[in-house]
Amino acid sequence: MALVLAALFTTLVLGIPAALAIDRECRGGALVGLSFLYGSGLLYGALLTLSLLHITWSAITTTVAALAVAAGLAFVARRKSLEATGTAGRAWSPAALPIDLLTAYTLFSYALYATLARVWEWDFWAIWGLKARVFVEASGIDWRFLRSPFNEFCHPDYPLLLPLNYAYTALIGGGWDDRWLGLFGVAYGLALLLIVRSLASREMPPVAAAVLTFAATAFALSHYVGLAEAPMIAFGSAGVLFIRRAVMFDERAAMRHGAVLLGLAGSTKNEGLALIVAVGAAMLLVDRSHWRRLLRLWPAVAIVAPWTIIRIALNLHTDIVRGGAFARAVIRLHEGISLLQRLIAQLPDSWMWILMLAALVIASHRVRAAERFVFSVVAIQLFFYVGAYLVTPHDLEWHIETSWPRLTRQIAVPLLFSVTVLLARTFAGEETLAHAEAGQDLH
Amino acid sequence: MHPRAILSIACFIGLAIASIRTPPLVLPFIDRTNAHESMTMYPDRGVWWPDYPRFLEAVRAHTKSGDSIALADPTMRWDAGYSYAYYRASYFLSGREVLPLVGPDDRRIMANVGRAQYVAVWHNRPPRGRPVVFAGYGGVLVRR
Repeated sequence: MALVLAALFTTLVLGIPAALAIDRECRGGALVGLSFLYGSGLLYGALLTLSLLHITWSAITTTVAALAVAAGLAFVARRKSLEATGTAGRAWSPAALPIDLLTAYTLFSYALYATLARVWEWDFWAIWGLKARVFVEASGIDWRFLRSPFNEFCHPDYPLLLPLNYAYTALIGGGWDDRWLGLFGVAYGLALLLIVRSLASREMPPVAAAVLTFAATAFALSHYVGLAEAPMIAFGSAGVLFIRRAVMFDERAAMRHGAVLLGLAGSTKNEGLALIVAVGAAMLLVDRSHWRRLLRLWPAVAIVAPWTIIRIALNLHTDIVRGGAFARAVIRLHEGISLLQRLIAQLPDSWMWILMLAALVIASHRVRAAERFVFSVVAIQLFFYVGAYLVTPHDLEWHIETSWPRLTRQIAVPLLFSVTVLLARTFAGEETLAHAEAGQDLH
Repeated sequence: MHPRAILSIACFIGLAIASIRTPPLVLPFIDRTNAHESMTMYPDRGVWWPDYPRFLEAVRAHTKSGDSIALADPTMRWDAGYSYAYYRASYFLSGREVLPLVGPDDRRIMANVGRAQYVAVWHNRPPRGRPVVFAGYGGVLVRR
């Protein structure tokens, strides 16, 4: 356990210069959360680069490579004076403390769950953990393994951020040990919760921000231990929430955070690539006149570009678009109602979704309109998911059953955030209105 | 208080309550030994536990990085168990090249026997006349 904790701490420290290079005024929980996420991305970049340069991985080469990039970013952070994200509101209050303690307890309980035993999930030892273990044995990315037709089961096209982070832990630990790798999910979950808490406190009172963060544990702490769900949820959710701030408050630092985080989401799972497109489309939908702002998403494209090029060069196909995808889509479109019924039947956290939809109805039109960006992102991403089910060559029932509960949780945190803001503003607005009306009655 | 404000508060509290996941929350207060054992055997539950992982560890110990190993299991049918046996072997035998003898369409890939330096056979008949490198945990590792 000590080695995994040491690797996670190193990841956090490596990411601090990156977080400060993007936003010099970044502080507190947001700095800790963002630093871990950026450190994770930095290690991915370092190990991928070493492999492409045919430099053998070792604890020393990988750490030196990551330190070199971190030092460069620290230099940028000292020199450049980029304007910061919006000022944080009052984050803490005595009334919020019990709720924050409840969140901390939930995180602790989740950590016990995630480390009950060696990582047990099928997709860990057949995909994410398998690749990491193979790469550690090869002291670099084993391209022969990825290209072998016998290894298609491990989805060689999937982005490598998580396997390379696992590999780094093995490198500094001196060998592969999957006993405590469940702690990665805890770290990604904690990073996201710190970011949510910090962003929420800029827009709502500390108690409401604390309750929102507690509610976010339902999605941020992924129960698919060892899979790429936890980093995907963390990078994707944080990315969408920062872009939301950039769109709503025109914060350039938030746009930089969002673009980098989305790029890292796209380096974690294929759904992250779709999320970049969804965010771009939603930005256009919200305000077509600001199409130039789309160009500020360039870091996302730059971060996902290397692996995308490698995938194309090595001919690593995504299984769902295997031959005949269009014909399958046409056939399944005729079963649209039954597909929808299956999706509703398999929807996890149904009460959370019902309440989030109820909040949309309860909220006044004016405050609802302000959150159009996040609602558009969620709707477009859901559309992509349904599109994948339409073209999948796999048995539809099996595919929905094994992926839908995971996919819906990937986009739930931004929706929960926006819905909570809606409820808080609706409550505040109605109360103000009621007081004003009461005042008129008195006169 | 305005009805919309009351509904907002109710919905907000409802979201907080609905987010509670009871099973992990009780973990700090219970003896986790049973849960540890159950999760340890979870990937190999059924007839595969505990011998198959032990067999694969032994195969790993008797081979070296870069070796190629063909795999035979008792089912020799993809969906009946071979896919699991093959995936699991790929994980335990990382660094070696694990070669399947059955494809996803249940077609036998006997050419892989010729390509492999070793054949790992678990609860199935090993090829005759080949030197046995290891036997135990219900399986045999033979050199080709």
